[in-house]
Amino acid sequence: MVELTIIIYILLIAAIMAAIFAIEYKNLMISIISLVVMNLAIWGVFLFLGATLLAWIQVIVYGGGLTSLFVTVVSLTEKQKDETFSLKRSIIALAIIAAIMALSIWAVVSSEGLYTPSGISSITESLELLWSERIMDLILQAVVFFTASIAIGTLFISHKKKKLKEEVEV
Amino acid sequence: MIDQLHLLILGIILFCVGLYALLGKRNVIKILMGIEIMTIAVNVIFIALGANIANETFTQFAQIFPLISIALGAAVLSVGLAIVINNYRHAKSVDSDEIATLKR
Repeated sequence: MVELTIIIYILLIAAIMAAIFAIEYKNLMISIISLVVMNLAIWGVFLFLGATLLAWIQVIVYGGGLTSLFVTVVSLTEKQKDETFSLKRSIIALAIIAAIMALSIWAVVSSEGLYTPSGISSITESLELLWSERIMDLILQAVVFFTASIAIGTLFISHKKKKLKEEVEV
Repeated sequence: MIDQLHLLILGIILFCVGLYALLGKRNVIKILMGIEIMTIAVNVIFIALGANIANETFTQFAQIFPLISIALGAAVLSVGLAIVINNYRHAKSVDSDEIATLKR
């Protein structure tokens, strides 16, 4: 048990270090690799906490899909190195971040028990709960997305027709 | 066993690292990386609050919001990266100061 706790603390530190490395390293490809390492560390933490479904979805979406997108963008933009460093801007940002971090950590430390009621975590139960408790939200989202996609499609088609008409007239 | 407080502090530190990228960096790709880190930090906080470490159990309800958050975060990043590529074709730069006006 003690070994497992030590591994989790190592993962926590690795996640923070990888995040800082991803932001600060000049070579963008190494930044992306650091981002993957951070995702893997967070995946381990989620698995340890029992959020199995979320751990796998997170590592698939962020660790896999978005990483490939980042690699594609860095390759296409041909800017492999970040040469846009501004000392003044960094110092101001660091001061703001230090204040926000100190305030947040103080707020969390001074607040008491944040525990929620217990339950059992599994993929089926999570999806069943989503289906039973949030069905109205899902229907609303579906209606909104459907309407929006039809509206955008109609706009595109009408714009294209208008353009075609103008070209014929010319 | 790991303390819930430490997980919350991990979330706060990750969020602040992402915010630093947002405020202090000019490279748009780095800014998007910061947004990704911030999204993950919020998910970590949600999961930390859902985990009842004293009983070694987990509230399944805590997984639902991060699930939606991951989907939205992925969509936001995809659109952001598409904008970066389109802007690079015109401005030949990924510096946020140079492409700030979005004018041609």
